[in-house]
Amino acid sequence: MFLMRFTERAYVNYTEEDVRNSPNEAVRLTFSNSNFDPAEGHYLYNMYLDEYEYSEEVGFDGLMLNEHHNTPTCLGATMNLEAAILARVTKKPKIVLLGNPLPIFDNPIRLAEELAEIDMISGGRLVSGFVRGTGVESLATNTNPLHNRARFEEAHDLVIKTWTTPGPFRWEGDHYHFRVVNPFQTPLQKPHPPVWIPGTGSPETLIWCAERNYPYIFLETDPQGTQDMKAIYAEAAREHGYEPGPENFGYLVRIHVQDTDEKAYDVGKGYMVGNIGVGRIPLPRDYASPVGYGSRSDDPRFLRLREQIRSDPFRVGGLDGAQYDSILDSKRWIIGSPDTVISQLREVLSFMRPGILAVWTNDGSISHEDTMRCLELMGQEVLPALREIGEELELTDPFQKEGVMPGLTAI
Amino acid sequence: MPNFTEETISVAGGNLQVYKGGSGDPLLVLHGAGGNAGPRRYAQALAEKFTVYLPSHPGYGKSDRPGWVETMQDLACFYTWYQEQEGLENARAIGFSMGGWLAAEMLSMTGHAFRKVMLVGAAGIKPNDGEITDIFIISPQQVRELVYHDPAQVPEWDELFGSDPTPEQAQQAEGDREMAIRLTWRPYMHNPRLPAKLGRVSIPTHIVWGENDNLVPVECARLYQQALAGSQVTVIPNCGHSPQIEKPDEFVQAALAFL
Amino acid sequence: MDVFYFTEMPYAEFPESEAEKFPSMRLTFPNTYFDADTASGLMNRYLDEYQYAEEMGFDGLMINEHHNTPSCMDVEVNITGGILARITKQARILMLGNMLPTSDNPVRLAEEIALLDVISGGRIISGFVRGIGIESWANNTNPIHNRERFEECHDLVVKTWTTPGPFRWEGNHYHYRAVNPWMLPVQKPHPPVWVPGTGSPETVEWTARRRYTYAAFLTPLEVAKSLFARYREYAAEDGWEPGPEKFAFMICCHVNDTDEKAQESGKAFLWRMNYPLRGPREYWSPPGYTSRAGAQAVAARRPTPLHELSYEELQERYHLVVGSPDTVIKKLRHIRDELGVGSLLLEAQGGRLSHADTMRSIELFGKEVIPALK
Repeated sequence: MFLMRFTERAYVNYTEEDVRNSPNEAVRLTFSNSNFDPAEGHYLYNMYLDEYEYSEEVGFDGLMLNEHHNTPTCLGATMNLEAAILARVTKKPKIVLLGNPLPIFDNPIRLAEELAEIDMISGGRLVSGFVRGTGVESLATNTNPLHNRARFEEAHDLVIKTWTTPGPFRWEGDHYHFRVVNPFQTPLQKPHPPVWIPGTGSPETLIWCAERNYPYIFLETDPQGTQDMKAIYAEAAREHGYEPGPENFGYLVRIHVQDTDEKAYDVGKGYMVGNIGVGRIPLPRDYASPVGYGSRSDDPRFLRLREQIRSDPFRVGGLDGAQYDSILDSKRWIIGSPDTVISQLREVLSFMRPGILAVWTNDGSISHEDTMRCLELMGQEVLPALREIGEELELTDPFQKEGVMPGLTAI
Repeated sequence: MPNFTEETISVAGGNLQVYKGGSGDPLLVLHGAGGNAGPRRYAQALAEKFTVYLPSHPGYGKSDRPGWVETMQDLACFYTWYQEQEGLENARAIGFSMGGWLAAEMLSMTGHAFRKVMLVGAAGIKPNDGEITDIFIISPQQVRELVYHDPAQVPEWDELFGSDPTPEQAQQAEGDREMAIRLTWRPYMHNPRLPAKLGRVSIPTHIVWGENDNLVPVECARLYQQALAGSQVTVIPNCGHSPQIEKPDEFVQAALAFL
Repeated sequence: MDVFYFTEMPYAEFPESEAEKFPSMRLTFPNTYFDADTASGLMNRYLDEYQYAEEMGFDGLMINEHHNTPSCMDVEVNITGGILARITKQARILMLGNMLPTSDNPVRLAEEIALLDVISGGRIISGFVRGIGIESWANNTNPIHNRERFEECHDLVVKTWTTPGPFRWEGNHYHYRAVNPWMLPVQKPHPPVWVPGTGSPETVEWTARRRYTYAAFLTPLEVAKSLFARYREYAAEDGWEPGPEKFAFMICCHVNDTDEKAQESGKAFLWRMNYPLRGPREYWSPPGYTSRAGAQAVAARRPTPLHELSYEELQERYHLVVGSPDTVIKKLRHIRDELGVGSLLLEAQGGRLSHADTMRSIELFGKEVIPALK
């Protein structure tokens, strides 16, 4: 089992009132950056980098980053720069980018160059995830949402070709046009850095991943619904001649550990502060999913799945609706002492069977001290126990898979 | 031999340089990316039957560029404007190379542009197999080497290339090249949506290609034929990208038969 | 006087005569000559050298970017800028710079630079460049629009830094509906802007009018002098007098224990003066990239291309300063006094200069040259 640590790197120095008084009561896109204090940012970024460096020390296999735009909920608007820093200041863990929002890039060659540079500096530790980005990413960069999926696929094809085909070559596509594709730098990993795709279960993306043998990382999805999503992936995989295993799936969960259940319960409330993750104040639909962004497929199976995703109380009502206690009761967040966390995770892992576990250790107002203690306990108690559970449940990860490593080559 | 005059008229707020000669129905000749070489032998021959209009595109030669002419679609808009002003709607037309692309863009915009159109080594459609040669990344000298299949058979070679260009001519060529870059840089020399838009065309079209075209692959003749219902294709053997210069007699014969 | 350390992070791990087989060592020189394992080691070596340069007392660390070329492995100046922001503590980080015209997303660019300023605690100097013609090819940006895009991109970046979001931008080349990045620079109103030039008159004026620092790159001393004089004229027209901080000068510079040793090890710089500077006109300056006036001005100012100069000529003309600490101090003082610049940008690792020679030169710069220049 592959264990990676994650935080969205939140900025929380604003009040709920600030958000309520902003255009459309939205915390993303139009919440004015005059609420951002760069001096605070200086402190926060370096703190988050310190925490990632410590995550290596306590034994995580991977350091996961993500990217969002125009939002205090995630300071990773230019994630590749953070990745470059981690490439230089850490030695062992994979640097897992989940991921670069392909449709918003007008220059996929430059993206391929950036990622190659990071892979080289890190000594071949890059895992290069790609995403479509939320609607906010399209709006913040003024990328036509109608072309989101087409640009995702074309940019992906071009990045992979740039990494694997000797230059110079030309590319005259629908959305991208280059006359001399020949960046001198190509990635250290051959044929290219592994590609993992995170998401909340869009059937089109699941099938696209299965066709390419790309691991799919479920982002806090409802465990029951996830079984249906995995079935869609598995069916497409079989059509492409292979049987997917745990190495094809990952799961992201908020997991926070402190010395005692009581302490963890109190500290864990910090996840509720600010407007992180699923969002306490739901975003306007036109921000999250502008017209044209979503799929118009009428496959009944897809419609059912989409309905299921939409009706997940955890996602829809926001945290105010879901309530802290009910989230914990449903084990959508795992918060407690090491023993509690380990036993709850055994249950979750047995049911979800991911080869990759993304551990969202802290966010919102959880303090640096509490985060460091959490990481320390992870290293001392939780990670070793999870590795044993992983062995016992045979949760093979992509790097342990014999033969072709998932994430590398289309089958 | 018909007499050609050079005139300057005002179109869309700028000066347009036009060579005009001959008599008969109007024939609009649209030059390629390399610029307006004036009334060469083929134009003289055509002027026996038609009144030939050979303008320098905006930004080329002595023609001004109205600031809004940035793309091939802008250029097509400019020329429909020119046609209306000069009463050249529904004329016959020949487009060479980039000028062929221009004629095709005009065809896609209105049914009133032309009565009959000839596309010669036309850019505008991306080949499936080969590539349209990138003429900007190589020197003008290298481009010339690619344009002609066999320089020895070009009757006007000495006239066209026999002497070194004067500084003024060199400046002019540089300006022409800049204009070509402005118009065709990206996507390079084609419009991905053009083939579909040519579905509206119902007038007679004739596609002419040099068999040994090293700039726009001869494959594009077939792609134009597929896009233009009822079009006919003539491939001239042993000939490069500019049949009208390299094989003027054969070219004129094909043109007169069609037009 | 501030002294900056600079390397283009070259990849010289192939016989340079291979370049003869292609139109140039840039753009279309196949990336099959690239070995990622070797490059991985080199990149980290160069970063080690930057860290040592800070340690030995360089005031600033300069980085740059180019595309499709072994002469500069840094394809993303903000990537290395980010790393230096985190692994250094007090040196200024001079990015010279980001290529504005080839950027399709100036807001992201503003965000990236702001992020580096935030991580470094306000140590970023934000250089902006037009990029050589080759960058237009590699990024497929129409060279006709180079200067227009440079200017519009600049205006949008600076507005993004200085105007609270959200705001809209519907320009000629860039269009945004909600400019509101949650990342702004620490330095107010924004990080200092520097602009390099080799002679284009438009660039000098543009830079002077905005009171940015102008950095002359590898020009003969008399050319730099005349460019700076022109800058002062524009400043005088606008009613202000620029101090030395508005002028910088970039050269290659190598120091070793003795003149003899330095002359020997300094030959490593010839690699970067040769094939990487050659190639067809179409690559370097596609039609429309340079105004006709600008092209003529540059041609008039630098008659002999650097790659046609001998090792001795390069030194006589101060493109390359090589010697013992005493020799180098004498020559750098001469430059300082002739030009009145506030900053010297020293490409102190170049071409095939080895790690050992680079480290020794950084040490000598720190112990002897920099203190003397102060």
